[in-house]
Amino acid sequence: MKKCITLMLALAAVVVFILPAFCQEDITEIKDPAFQTLKRPAVPFMHDEHNEKAGLDGCLPCHHEGMENGEFVEGDPAKCADCHEVAPTDDSTDLKTAYHQQCIQCHEDAAKGPVACGECHVK
Amino acid sequence: MYHSIYDLVTGPLTWLGFGVLVLGGLFRMVSLYSLAKKKDASSIAYNKAKYGIRSILHWITPFGTLGWKENPVITVVTFVFHICLLATPIFLGAHIDLWDLNFGVSWPALPDHVADIMTVLVIAAGCFFAYRRVVDKTVAFVTTWKDWFALCVTMGPFITGFLAYHQIFNYQFMIVLHVITGIAWLLFIPFGRLSHAILGWYSRVYIASEFQGVRHAKDW
Repeated sequence: MKKCITLMLALAAVVVFILPAFCQEDITEIKDPAFQTLKRPAVPFMHDEHNEKAGLDGCLPCHHEGMENGEFVEGDPAKCADCHEVAPTDDSTDLKTAYHQQCIQCHEDAAKGPVACGECHVK
Repeated sequence: MYHSIYDLVTGPLTWLGFGVLVLGGLFRMVSLYSLAKKKDASSIAYNKAKYGIRSILHWITPFGTLGWKENPVITVVTFVFHICLLATPIFLGAHIDLWDLNFGVSWPALPDHVADIMTVLVIAAGCFFAYRRVVDKTVAFVTTWKDWFALCVTMGPFITGFLAYHQIFNYQFMIVLHVITGIAWLLFIPFGRLSHAILGWYSRVYIASEFQGVRHAKDW
């Protein structure tokens, strides 16, 4: 009986979570709605393709939940704009700088991927 | 390959450009001042900040001097050229983003479309100066390769910057060329024709002090 309940619960969980998992559309560009007006063209970004190419398994080094001892702490794959404001009033990292730092620094370190403005913001 | 070229031009070569600009500029200012003190002490003795500042304020005002009133077209083009030439690279959003990323400093930026128009104005004014050097016989007579060189060095970063921003031709090639021409700009400011950016003020103070302090006349 106990086993049956466990199985039923597992099945229920699969049913509940399978739909959103398949409904999630592939991310093909970074066009954060937090930026109300875009100064430069949105950045074409194939999320899955990028991670496969870059050999990234987890959500780090992009998504993080704060910092500890100068290192990013892996957390839920939250959106950047959940924490980084477009125009913060304190000295926290603003959204544009957060994107620029994350992408450019990683590409610089790996000596792969776009580093100059127009390589990402393609017209 | 591209990454190592990009790193080289935006790293060590950019440091070299700013280093030569600051140290070379200081060297030129100090060495020329000590030379003037040695060779022209009697004139230097009359130099006064008040005369210099008064003269400079007149000469940086459009139509603020008889010289500027003489040829209105040249005056307008000269002022537009120099204002856009200095303001565009300093207040360009993309440049400020780089300062912010690398040094954590930032300041208000010009809207991109305004900077774009200012870039076109610099290029147009440069073409006007080039045209004048060829067509105006008086100007052509005093023109040497040094003037053409200075004009090319000055225009380089604006032409490549415009092409890179609009992503005309190969972007990676153009952005590297933009950085290289920008470094050339910094390298040549302390020397040759472009040194008027840091040394022209000296001539102004010198002439102003002679006119106002000795002859008791205006130099504007």
